[in-house]
Amino acid sequence: MEFSGAVDIPAARERVFAFVTNPDKVGQCGPGVESIEILDPTHFRAKAKVGVGFITARFVVDLEITEQQAPDMAVITARGQAPGSAVDAVGRMDLVEGAEPGTTTMRWAAEVSISGMIASVGARLVEGTANKMIGQTFDCIRAKIVADS
Amino acid sequence: MATELQTTPEVGGMGHSVKRKEDPRMIRGQGEYIEDVNLPGQLWMDIVRSPYAHATIKSIDASEALKIPGVLAVITGADLEKAGLHWMPTLAGDKQMVLPTTTVMYQAQEVAAVVATDRYAAADGIAAVYVDYEPLPVIVDPHKAMEKDAFVLRPDRAPDKQTNHIWHWESGDRAATDAALESAEVRISEDIYIPRIHVASIETCGCVADWDAVRGQLTLHMTSQAPHAIRTVLALVSGLPEQNIRVKTHDIGGGFGGKVPVYPGYVLAVVASLTVGKPVKWIEDRSENLQADSFARDYHIHAEMSATKAGKITGLKVKTLADHGYSDAAADPSKYPAGLFNVITGSYDFPNAFVEVDGVYTNKPPGGVAYRCSFRVTEAVHAIERMVDILAHDIGMDPAELRMKNFIQPEQFPYTTPTGWEYDSGNYPAALQKAMDMIDYAGLRREQVEKRERGELMGIGISSFTEIVGAGPSKDFDIIGIKMFDSCEIRVHPTGKVIARIGVQSQGQGHETTFAQIIAEELGFPAADVKIEYGDTDTAPYGLGTYASRSTPVAGAATAMASRKIKDKARKIAAHLLEAAEDDLEWTNGKFTVKGSPDRFKTIQEIAFAAYTNHPTGMEAGLEAVDYYDPPNLTFPFGSYICVVDIDKATGQVTVRRFVAVDDCGNIINPMIVDGQIHGGLTMGFAPSLLESITYDELGNNQAGTFMDYLLPTAVETPRWEVAKTITPSPHHPIGAKGVGESATVGAPPAIANAVVDALWHLGVRNIDIPLTPQKVWAILHEKGIA
Repeated sequence: MEFSGAVDIPAARERVFAFVTNPDKVGQCGPGVESIEILDPTHFRAKAKVGVGFITARFVVDLEITEQQAPDMAVITARGQAPGSAVDAVGRMDLVEGAEPGTTTMRWAAEVSISGMIASVGARLVEGTANKMIGQTFDCIRAKIVADS
Repeated sequence: MATELQTTPEVGGMGHSVKRKEDPRMIRGQGEYIEDVNLPGQLWMDIVRSPYAHATIKSIDASEALKIPGVLAVITGADLEKAGLHWMPTLAGDKQMVLPTTTVMYQAQEVAAVVATDRYAAADGIAAVYVDYEPLPVIVDPHKAMEKDAFVLRPDRAPDKQTNHIWHWESGDRAATDAALESAEVRISEDIYIPRIHVASIETCGCVADWDAVRGQLTLHMTSQAPHAIRTVLALVSGLPEQNIRVKTHDIGGGFGGKVPVYPGYVLAVVASLTVGKPVKWIEDRSENLQADSFARDYHIHAEMSATKAGKITGLKVKTLADHGYSDAAADPSKYPAGLFNVITGSYDFPNAFVEVDGVYTNKPPGGVAYRCSFRVTEAVHAIERMVDILAHDIGMDPAELRMKNFIQPEQFPYTTPTGWEYDSGNYPAALQKAMDMIDYAGLRREQVEKRERGELMGIGISSFTEIVGAGPSKDFDIIGIKMFDSCEIRVHPTGKVIARIGVQSQGQGHETTFAQIIAEELGFPAADVKIEYGDTDTAPYGLGTYASRSTPVAGAATAMASRKIKDKARKIAAHLLEAAEDDLEWTNGKFTVKGSPDRFKTIQEIAFAAYTNHPTGMEAGLEAVDYYDPPNLTFPFGSYICVVDIDKATGQVTVRRFVAVDDCGNIINPMIVDGQIHGGLTMGFAPSLLESITYDELGNNQAGTFMDYLLPTAVETPRWEVAKTITPSPHHPIGAKGVGESATVGAPPAIANAVVDALWHLGVRNIDIPLTPQKVWAILHEKGIA
């Protein structure tokens, strides 16, 4: 599954970049995230509870910032598992100056592969659920950056 | 025989609708299914399954699972490898993993087993086993698996077998068929896909493995359609002496072919019990059953047919790709990797035919079971019945007329097909005519013309199928080398009551009733006085089990033959008691009477008593017999079904308005049970026609993992069936019976598909693959500008 979009954030690129590459900060916005463990500056492990339809699964996800150029772009890969299910994802974000001075447009794209029970049993719900979660995540990121300022 | 009743209703021999002996316990909720078996000290096993359809296992970490209170052991492929048990043979001569050591091959494959003190701890345990996977590319499409640059899914195979091609099988005369096709006035071709489906029994698979180390005895309570074969395989694989292995089935909540194979779960439960020394129970849940157990069908068929302009068919050529998943675990007889698929010439007098099938590996669960079908006959019947309909429409001939014109005629039996089968008996025109009369075929065609003028979509579909059941004669039929005979042992007690044990295994067919009726017919004991037992390998005679409609053709014949051995001895005892010569006795209504002296007779019950109290000098006491029956041929049930559908133009919804099923299964033992079999079979034919299929996404995820996506028909969706019979006995079967369990599953889908295409033919629709879902039909209507 491929997802992409753009979101306007009323803050400078540097602040946005700092927020989204800080696992403690951005982790609060991850859907269902219960804890974030920082293994090193580019490796994190998140525990998250995710529901698709009538199935709820607790995922353990290893994330790695595989590429970053502050404050322009970053690529994050993720591989996670829940009992009987797995997720593999690559996400890329590009930060550009927004239309208004001091604002940022975040362009993002993600390729997500979901395997196992959630893909099988929740097949018809996965895409809709993922879209909803992505929307919530960006709403949260924007709100928190605004609140921080 | 079945047309004229030979026994009174009190005796209840053949032809009586004796109520099922099984039903009192079933309708009271007192059946005993595998879940009901609970032994003292029993442990539970649950299975860790792969989320990936193809991946390398980098490591398995069970440490967290073992910390959970109640979790006793975690078994991995590495543990099994030490005992050489990580692979096991399949019935088809391939091998499959019990647990993988390096690579998982399909989504939901078994990866590890957790043994715990209760079911909940086992479930918590599997959630805590951490498996580190590295995903690999996936092959979902069998056509892609056959491409030259496709990676090899099974590098474990021999150096000369480093491809995804498993086997090639062919039948018939290629050159003659090519010649017929090339010189034909009319030649048609079509691609027909018979989708992957699942038997979806209401009871999933499971077992309780019980190793008694002190006695050296392994008892395996399990859901199996073939308990004796399981016992022998267990003995060969485990090295345990066969007399110390007891396989015991209980009431089985549906088999339909899905409970023939040996699944890794059974083996793991046995290994767990042998390791822990306590009984270990394993019960699949619904999603495990749908995702990991043997599938059925999944045949990609390309068919070509030739005919004269006047509608006389001249040739049939069929090329098929069979998707077997990652291992060929089909339960076909050894010599028939594509089952009996070459019965594809069906009910028609084809001068030429050629059939070839190639088996292929993909990243899907293994299998290829005969889902309520005698080894790939459903696929064959669907293809030929679709092709005959397409030909009829193409040349502008009524499909019924084309069938009548090309049927094998009654006087042609025994009839040898161009692919080598010898059909035992049949009267195809009579069955079709009866169905046409019942449904008023001519009236329906007139109605269709009127409706089409009004823009309404109505279709009429025919299926005139020939089944091939009762495997099988020992010269051709075996499974893992064991010949496909079957057996019955009858013991008559002194008081004239009977126990009979059979080598076949009921899964709801009503064997406790029908086999008692065969003995009642043959010996005159009331069916109520005959107890039928099966499913305990310690007591039942050896048999190959129940699938492919083989119980009545094979074990039913054994039951008749064992009865006749008893009758021979009974005659000797009667002659002794009546002080008459054996030749002077005649057998009627359960007694031997001295010819010309109607007052001088002995009933079978009196003879039974004498067998233990007053038997002739020099004769062994007792009245018992056993028979192992090796059938001389298969049997060939047939029928004609006619279906009428209406299609909603706005939604694409297909409604089966009427469905007439005329079946001929030879002589009938119990008409009520036969009707029940046909009702159930029609419903299981209706299901894949309109509702059921298993599809996979590009990552190899099963898209039908619950009953929300795998749509079983309920009473609400199921049409009202109108059933009738013709009776053409099998000439070689002792009681003239043919078997009926699968006819309707085999015959129904093309009748429905033909009706739907018939409704849409004028729009330019030649074929639609089942299931004919509203989405699929609506898309066609939309494309044609109708919806």
